[in-house]
Amino acid sequence: MKSTKFTPASNLSKAEIDRKWWEIGDYFRRNSLWLLMYCTGCCAIELPPAMTSAYDMERLGMGPMATPRQADILLVSGYLSLKTLRRLIYTYEQMSEPRYVVALGSCPINGGIYHDSHAVINQLDQYVPVDVYVAGCMPNTEAVMNGFVDLMEQIKNKTATGWLRYKNNNAWFKQNQIDSLGEVEVYDEFHE
Amino acid sequence: MIVSLLVGLGIALFGFVLQTSVAGVNRKVVGRLQKRYGPRWYQEFLDIFKLLSKRSVSHGWIFDFGVIMALGGIIGTAMFMPLTTSFSAFAPFDNFFIFVYLIAVGMLGMAMSASGSGNPLASIGVMRALTTMLAYEVPFMIIVLTIIKLTGTSSLTGIALWQQAQGNNWFIVALPVGGIVAILCLMGMLGKKPFETYIAPAEIASGPMVEYGGKQLGMLFIMHEITVFIEVSLFVHLFLGGANNIFEFLIKYFLVYTSVNLISNVNGRFKIDQVVKFFYKWPLLLASAQAIVAIYFGWVI
Amino acid sequence: MTSSMSNVEFVKDLVNKNFHPLSQEILSPYQISFVVEKDDVHQLLIVLKTAGWIQMSYLSAIDWPLENKFELIYILMNWEKAVHVQIRSKIDRTVPIMNTIIPIFPGAKYYERECHEFFGIAFPGNPDYEKQLILEGWDDIPPLRKDFDPRAYSERKFPQRVYTEDFSVTNNEPSKQAKRAARKQRAESLRGGKK
Repeated sequence: MKSTKFTPASNLSKAEIDRKWWEIGDYFRRNSLWLLMYCTGCCAIELPPAMTSAYDMERLGMGPMATPRQADILLVSGYLSLKTLRRLIYTYEQMSEPRYVVALGSCPINGGIYHDSHAVINQLDQYVPVDVYVAGCMPNTEAVMNGFVDLMEQIKNKTATGWLRYKNNNAWFKQNQIDSLGEVEVYDEFHE
Repeated sequence: MIVSLLVGLGIALFGFVLQTSVAGVNRKVVGRLQKRYGPRWYQEFLDIFKLLSKRSVSHGWIFDFGVIMALGGIIGTAMFMPLTTSFSAFAPFDNFFIFVYLIAVGMLGMAMSASGSGNPLASIGVMRALTTMLAYEVPFMIIVLTIIKLTGTSSLTGIALWQQAQGNNWFIVALPVGGIVAILCLMGMLGKKPFETYIAPAEIASGPMVEYGGKQLGMLFIMHEITVFIEVSLFVHLFLGGANNIFEFLIKYFLVYTSVNLISNVNGRFKIDQVVKFFYKWPLLLASAQAIVAIYFGWVI
Repeated sequence: MTSSMSNVEFVKDLVNKNFHPLSQEILSPYQISFVVEKDDVHQLLIVLKTAGWIQMSYLSAIDWPLENKFELIYILMNWEKAVHVQIRSKIDRTVPIMNTIIPIFPGAKYYERECHEFFGIAFPGNPDYEKQLILEGWDDIPPLRKDFDPRAYSERKFPQRVYTEDFSVTNNEPSKQAKRAARKQRAESLRGGKK
């Protein structure tokens, strides 16, 4: 009777071994997500109940972090004016891969109540790849927690590939940024 | 020789696993204190392994080399730590001064790589960390020199055995004022609030760790956990009488870390000049008073 | 103060003694507004500043496209006699130029920059009124003018989200007015706790 305890090592191809390691990495990544709370607009007021004792994000493993290089998720909460979007693109490109973007509120989806303003962008998807949208104006905190759990499910099913899209279609994103913003260089009077 | 090295590495690994688990359990304890469920007890492990699986950005070879030097230095320091009075890797080498000397290697590595990253916030954080070290080392040294004078040996195992030989008379009871000063200095060493100035997430965007991401941050976290293990174990051996078997050690370690964590959880954060002023006022006076009382008058409880 | 008139009356007397405002209006015990000629503005500001109105609260403009004029508004505040004084003056809309008031109130430097950016009013004498303060890289007419259409600008530059119509209406009831009226009737009857 052939023993079934040991699998000969040559049966797994290199692609399968890579996939297995990446799955273990996914388990670690989805159970300890660190947020960079880029509180651009009004929806940032839904974050204190999510972070503290009311809805307790920490039991999912999520926690706030101070700098973009240490964080996994860029949390865009609310409307994005042109100036903020330039700095947000800087911040997004500083994060280490794999990185995810969660957009709260209606304003990143289709402009929200600022859809006819000359200084607020209408669709965040054109400039930065977004993984999870949480609709509402503003969404309930339970909806925000639901959005985070959805992101964890997406990481498990390997559909949270926004950062790969940004790398592969970089030219498309950059072209959109230049069309709408003019230029993404930040010239700030107070930092010269 | 090889066996000692392997045992030493085993002690370092044990210290890392112990401290990470204790830190995770403490996060749960603090969470329950705040009327919420905390994270899982193995959450810190998940954090560290997640960090090690991200692709990170490097700022040059000094940046990477500093992190490796910090981690290597601290593993080397942890290899000398005795766990109980009868189990240590390098038996004649568990002198207190070896630890004081080798912890600086870890700090130096982190400082080197933080300034290699080029961010001014990192330099501010490193300067604050070194100033805090300057502040808490002086009262701590006075108390430990008192202990060494009283016991006549500076080996950790020797001090632990001396305390047990005196009828389980721990130094935290024999030199009560010195024990309180040592707890304050321990909070400064661990970087707990109110002495958390060198990380300061809201003010200088986490200080020296500002430019790290991914693998370097994971290694830095491992280094921080092993540093905490070394410092709390030092406290257990010096002031709480060491341990005869491993369970006693685990219980004492857990109690010390949890109580320090609970105290630090209800405090705000000092500014750096407040830290230095604090440590040079009452702890220094009390430590000197305790030293004079214990050595010259011989009033030891 | 031992004088028997209120603060608002004091301001009204002060301005009317030395100038000829085109119109004035007391809005509340704490607010009064004057409409003056463009050339009188600087003198009036100096007189008010020496009388105690040392804080410039606001400087902005209103666009009157039908009269072809901009109306500049300066709001001053006094910390001892609590009265807001509004000074309004109309300037031409096609070539809007107004001398700067930096020698009187140095803090108006940024207000004048904002006015130039959003309305296009030039302030000769202000060394950097053409630098952009709030908008970066702006490429259209000044946005707070009434002939600027923000919606057209937004649709031109920022692509809107396209929603696909993938539903169809399958019930063909003529109207739901009857049900709506019945619901409203029931809600009215329940108001006040009646059943």
